[in-house]
Amino acid sequence: MTDDGPAGAVAPAGRRLSGEGRARGLLFEVARRLASMVLTIFGVSIIVFLVLRLLPGNALTSALGVSEGLLTHAQLVALDHYYGIGEPVIQQYGSWLHAILTGNLGVSLQSRTSVASLVGTALPVTFELAIAAMLLGLLIGVLFGVFGALRPGRAVDVTGQGVSVIGLGVPSFVIGTGLVTLLASVFQYFPSSETFASLTSDPWLNIQQIFFPALTLSLGIGAAIMRTTRASVLEVVGQNYVRTARGKGLSRHSVTWKHIFLNAFIPVLTMSGIQLGYLLGGTVIVEQIFVLPGLGRLLVESINGRDFPVVQSVTTIFAAGFVVVNMVVDVLYAAIDPRIRNR
Amino acid sequence: MRYTKVIRNVVVLAASVGLAGALCSSVGAAPRVQAIHSSSASPFVVASTSGVQKLDPDVVTNFVDFQALGLIYDQLVRYNKQLQFVPDLATSWAFSNGNRAITFQLRKNVTFDDGTSFTSANVVASIDRVLAPKTGDASASYISSVKTVVAKGPYSVEFVLSHPDSSILSGLTSVNLSMLSTKAIAAGTLATTPDGTGPYMFASWSPNNYLILTANPHYWGGKVKLASVKIEAIPTEQSIASAIEANTVQLGLLTEPEVAKTLSSYTVQNVLDLSYRALMLQDKTGPLANVNNRRALECAINRKQIVADSVFGQGQVVGPIPMGPFASNPVSAVCPNTNVAAAKRYLKAAGDPSGFTFTAITSVAIDPTSSAQAIAAQSELAQAGIKMNIENLATDAYIQDWLKGDFQACFAWNGANPDPYTMYGRYFGQGANLGVPAGYSSPALQKLLLQGDESSSASAQQKYYSELSANLTGNAVWVWLFTSYDYAVVGHGVNGFSFFPSLTDSLQTLSSTSVS
Repeated sequence: MTDDGPAGAVAPAGRRLSGEGRARGLLFEVARRLASMVLTIFGVSIIVFLVLRLLPGNALTSALGVSEGLLTHAQLVALDHYYGIGEPVIQQYGSWLHAILTGNLGVSLQSRTSVASLVGTALPVTFELAIAAMLLGLLIGVLFGVFGALRPGRAVDVTGQGVSVIGLGVPSFVIGTGLVTLLASVFQYFPSSETFASLTSDPWLNIQQIFFPALTLSLGIGAAIMRTTRASVLEVVGQNYVRTARGKGLSRHSVTWKHIFLNAFIPVLTMSGIQLGYLLGGTVIVEQIFVLPGLGRLLVESINGRDFPVVQSVTTIFAAGFVVVNMVVDVLYAAIDPRIRNR
Repeated sequence: MRYTKVIRNVVVLAASVGLAGALCSSVGAAPRVQAIHSSSASPFVVASTSGVQKLDPDVVTNFVDFQALGLIYDQLVRYNKQLQFVPDLATSWAFSNGNRAITFQLRKNVTFDDGTSFTSANVVASIDRVLAPKTGDASASYISSVKTVVAKGPYSVEFVLSHPDSSILSGLTSVNLSMLSTKAIAAGTLATTPDGTGPYMFASWSPNNYLILTANPHYWGGKVKLASVKIEAIPTEQSIASAIEANTVQLGLLTEPEVAKTLSSYTVQNVLDLSYRALMLQDKTGPLANVNNRRALECAINRKQIVADSVFGQGQVVGPIPMGPFASNPVSAVCPNTNVAAAKRYLKAAGDPSGFTFTAITSVAIDPTSSAQAIAAQSELAQAGIKMNIENLATDAYIQDWLKGDFQACFAWNGANPDPYTMYGRYFGQGANLGVPAGYSSPALQKLLLQGDESSSASAQQKYYSELSANLTGNAVWVWLFTSYDYAVVGHGVNGFSFFPSLTDSLQTLSSTSVS
């Protein structure tokens, strides 16, 4: 076996399937997960819809506050009609579902603009933030986790443990606010307070605007991934096949990444999937602090304004994101580990 | 193998350069950002914690919506900094027929952004739209006395009123009663494309995020110095402060004194907010139905202490009419100063010498200071033997209880107006829309409000409205507490901006503001 030979990642798991069998197993897994995903999203949409209607108040109360009391009866009747207040719940849900299925997502009660356009503007921001935070989190978590486990008690391990304590113990809103205040007061620097620039319109400004919020989010993610990676690597590092690989004279790099890390990767993948799901919720706070016009901020404003069409659509998108991430992780399990694929 | 290593090294190098670049750019960013905003191409950025939610001036209710649309639209009259009426699109006005009619002479050579001219037809169409129920304009109640609006020529218009109503001028200062283009009304585009006569024109909008305006080259008030203004939402006040320090924001609108204090190297303009805090009381049933128990509350509460505890002393104790030409004496008619002994005497007179218990509602979501106000009042009332329970409610629950009058006492943050009838007619006037949450009602109050509103002389109005204030505090209808400051933090190099204590026109001097 050379350095470039087949990875030992799944070697202990046993037999290998033919290419056709492997593809069939994967396809079955994807189809099963897709079906359950559709059902889950449908269930979430019903729950969100009902919960919103159980909250006290409505779009009119939210829009006018106590000034609602100044309206005449005729004005109230006209506005109730406009906001759809008093329509049967089934009818409201049917209208919304129809809007979702036809792709227009309805019209915002607050701004009277298309929900699809609001979501279309905000979604790429949150998506980019989530990806950047995940990549940074993986970088922090995997590097500190692997090297910490290989050199327990040394400087890199102690540093990693320190980062993990901060990442897990300090809430992201504290880290974010501290970071914003520090950069602005010391360096007069707060790039995300400028109009958001997309990656295509101004890549350099975009990187600056995304980097610090992503860093804020990544500390928590990185801490969780680091702990999992460290524990998993510590477990693998004493296995016979690792000793064999070393005994065969493979390079340290090859042993570390191909034989140790890949075999320790399944728990890391699970943790990464879970963290990516929570990350979607974390963006809500970080987008507020860093002034990013993403889905999280849109959701908060819409909840405050009882803008039901927007809240329903954004929540469903978050739920769909969570479900898709879980599905991708499950499919990756199957792709990586033949024991799962062949179950 | 070599190829893989090359790719790996390139990726690692790129990632390292990216991260290092982003970090290093923070160190060298200050001069770059400074340079951006000194150029004429970048807009002048005004930041507020809330974004512009709606564009139709007749239906907006959000504070920043008023401020932003106040830059696009004009009204017939407006308030100046001393809260006196001054001409806007009406150059003069005169009451007639015993204050049952008011005629406005209109400004000439005014054009809307769509190029059409402003005439009396616009006034008629605008007021008709406000009064139409389907518009849902909450400020329609300010001009409920209007029977008809009649054009008396292209630049003259008469409002025929159902009864003498001097407060109509106050109502007409609202953005909700802006003068609109008949073309835009007919096209139904006001909710998406503002079309006014003010110093700035609509350019683009991202709901709840930002609104970009450009200077109106045809503005009747003269040349507008800033080429472009952006009203931007920055959700937290701390982030607004950071953006000012980073010079990405030139004007920050704040309400929290502790945040304003951190910007000591900037010019911080503060004005008393056109709103007031009060402890509203429901006096139909229970211990608060007894006037002497209410008076005991008024005597026991130390309003200065509440200002100190809830807004760090950054506010003023006020009476029922907080500001304007008819501003009332902040000293209570019952107890000029906090007086626990007097409170106990009133309790004895009420037949409750050992005190009584009641519950006050607050909503921290609506007024973040309300909890501190309530806790301060609670400890002060306890000294007189009065036990006040505090119930903090979510926004909608609070609003619904407030509207139904379903509370014993309520820490409220109510909008004020320089005109006392506009301010209290809706609470204590005849057939008042908000009579239920107001609680107290009396023919004497109704009469005083009506007399003040129907009077044509300032001295007579002064007399009636002074009596109104005395009546409100003498009967301890509510306990008026204080009004707090709003802050405008002005960035370096910004000249000519002056913050106004007005809902509609607080940013009006942006038309003459410049950046050096």
